[in-house]
Amino acid sequence: MVSPKPAGAVAIRRGPGPVAAAAGLFGLVLLIVVGACLVWSSATAQDVASRANEERLRVITRMLAQNAESILTAESPRTLRTVLSEAALRYELTNCRVTLGDGTVVADGSPHAGPAAADLAATLPSIPESLRDHGERVEAGAYTGVTVIGIGARGEAVLEVSGPVGAPLARAADLQTGAALVGGIAICGLFLSWRSLDRRFRSLTALRGLVLRAAATPDARAEALRLGVRGAGAIASAWNTLMTERDELRERACLKEAIEALGGGGRSESGGHSAVDALWLGVMLLDREGKVHYANGAAAAMLSVRREEVGGASFTTLFPEADLQATISEVVSGRSRNRASAEIERVGAGSGAEAERSVFRVSVKGLRKEDSAVALVMIEDVTQQRAADEARNAFVAQATHELRTPLTNMRLYIETLVEDTGEDPAVRAKCLNVIGGESRRLERIVGDMLSVSEIEAGSLKIHEDDVRLDAVFADLKADFSAQAEDREMTFVLELPPKLPVIKGDRDKLMLTLHNLVGNAIKYTPPGGAVRVIVRLEAGAVHVDVTDNGIGIRPEECEKVFERFYRAKDKRIGSITGSGLGLALARQIARLHGGDISVRSELDKGSTFTLTLPSTDVVAIVGAADQRKAA
Amino acid sequence: MEISEQRQGAVTVVKPGGPLCQAEAEQFASRLDEVLTRTLGRFVLDASAIPYVDSVGLESLLRITNDLAESGRSLRVCSANETLREVMDLTGLGDRFEFYEDVNTAVRSFL
Repeated sequence: MVSPKPAGAVAIRRGPGPVAAAAGLFGLVLLIVVGACLVWSSATAQDVASRANEERLRVITRMLAQNAESILTAESPRTLRTVLSEAALRYELTNCRVTLGDGTVVADGSPHAGPAAADLAATLPSIPESLRDHGERVEAGAYTGVTVIGIGARGEAVLEVSGPVGAPLARAADLQTGAALVGGIAICGLFLSWRSLDRRFRSLTALRGLVLRAAATPDARAEALRLGVRGAGAIASAWNTLMTERDELRERACLKEAIEALGGGGRSESGGHSAVDALWLGVMLLDREGKVHYANGAAAAMLSVRREEVGGASFTTLFPEADLQATISEVVSGRSRNRASAEIERVGAGSGAEAERSVFRVSVKGLRKEDSAVALVMIEDVTQQRAADEARNAFVAQATHELRTPLTNMRLYIETLVEDTGEDPAVRAKCLNVIGGESRRLERIVGDMLSVSEIEAGSLKIHEDDVRLDAVFADLKADFSAQAEDREMTFVLELPPKLPVIKGDRDKLMLTLHNLVGNAIKYTPPGGAVRVIVRLEAGAVHVDVTDNGIGIRPEECEKVFERFYRAKDKRIGSITGSGLGLALARQIARLHGGDISVRSELDKGSTFTLTLPSTDVVAIVGAADQRKAA
Repeated sequence: MEISEQRQGAVTVVKPGGPLCQAEAEQFASRLDEVLTRTLGRFVLDASAIPYVDSVGLESLLRITNDLAESGRSLRVCSANETLREVMDLTGLGDRFEFYEDVNTAVRSFL
């Protein structure tokens, strides 16, 4: 794997260095010497082998001459032929024969020779002088020895022996192949050694240059002194780590100095406390180059960077917003010393809807010129304030809209009454009915709004008392049975045999249950069914309000708890509602330490579950007590 | 242990549903670490469903508030029961936290 070269890193120089070139030259000379030695030793070995062969053939010739004399004197030429044949085969002779003075072959040891003479004559022809003078000679790598042998009183014959004296061709080829193989391996090894040496020396040369540069410019940062990892390997990595650690140590020292200069009796980096560090207000000091001279913990936390990384960082990297950069630049450059502020948005960890949006107000102020820092940057987290502003604006807009509808209706019917002058009793009754209905609607909306506003303002208090759940559900049944009957709906209350007495605000809990059951009846068509099921679990009471009404789309299930939100279903357009009931119910449940959740399927119905903690159970009331209470 | 989260405006309300002891305390601490990173510290610990804490739970709460103290804040705890408050007072750690009566008061403290 090739490591990427860091930005600003010094690359290793290409091409061989002087030391590596010298080493390469030395290796080449060595290789030539070794080659020459191999050639010389090969020639010497050849020569020694030839001489040894020649001597061997000479001895064989003498031995065969002695044998031939005794065999021919005592026996027949056929025996001699057998001896010569065996000698030719064993000693690899090319020629081995005995001839007479007239050229007659007495016996020949070569494989393709003819049969030996049948017998020798009593007197043999004399040997010509030309044959006697032959002796022995070596020509073209072959030895030929001629010896005159005496055959008793009959006369003389000539023994001629020939054979190769040089080393066999195959053996020479083997020797040369071996030498070439050794040479090749030596060349490869030499090349690899040269490459390794070259690389090592190049990285050392680059390192030497960086050390000299670091000595000449002590303030240079690690980025400027970084060594390219490619080709330098472990040396570059070790050097780069060393430089990074040097920078970190230097930055820590700078930060420590800045803290000491700022706080006096303030905290050191490792411990202690200072006034600035105790603030949940980001404070940063910038120097003339726009780099962070000091930053407190809150500033680092708000900008989502580690505190060690803030020191020395440029404000442009911390604040990528162009407008804010321009404002800070004005102050840092000294062109402005007025306080300026801007709001920035940051999205934190998480994705999609889970990502936290933060809003920060960043204020910049110029400092005195004689100070080491030239600008003071303060960062304030105003996310909750902005959320509250948005909620307030939305509340006012929705409240205006909700109040306007009944008011408009009332105004129109009052105008009708005035114009009609009350002559038609039917018209008058209708108008008064509508006005009465709308005024009640108005009263309900205002009441809900006041309750929600109290919750938002934190002024809504729960007046805790003992709440008998059996009595609560008895009242609930009484309140809604008639309404359900009017709409021809089934209203079922399923209660456990015993119900606890819990701590809570009875009126507000009743309001919550009224909202849940009222909604279930309101959004279920006539003939439907609403069931209220109470379940007791360890530490909690669950109240499921289930209907088989129009249901809620999955994407709207959480939105129905928002103030003034009404589902987009066209079927609920004719059903009156402020959109505050569920918001209020959930807030009351939460004030009791519980919650309301919803499961719903469009066109099939919904189940709203109210969960109330029952850790402070005062008593358990059974059916008998319930009757008594009634 | 079930740990629920609710958003109120820009503030996250974290509510553990049980005692902070041993393994649950460690699970709770890692969850709170994640919430701290995600919300930049804009969160409230709703202690209404924490009946008691042991030393591991106390240590995890202390670690979180120490992390917050690095940037000048402290852990905001609301609806803590008498047992929890007594443990904090007896161990002398009460002043490391901010206590609020209920969730709304705690959430409003961010304004």
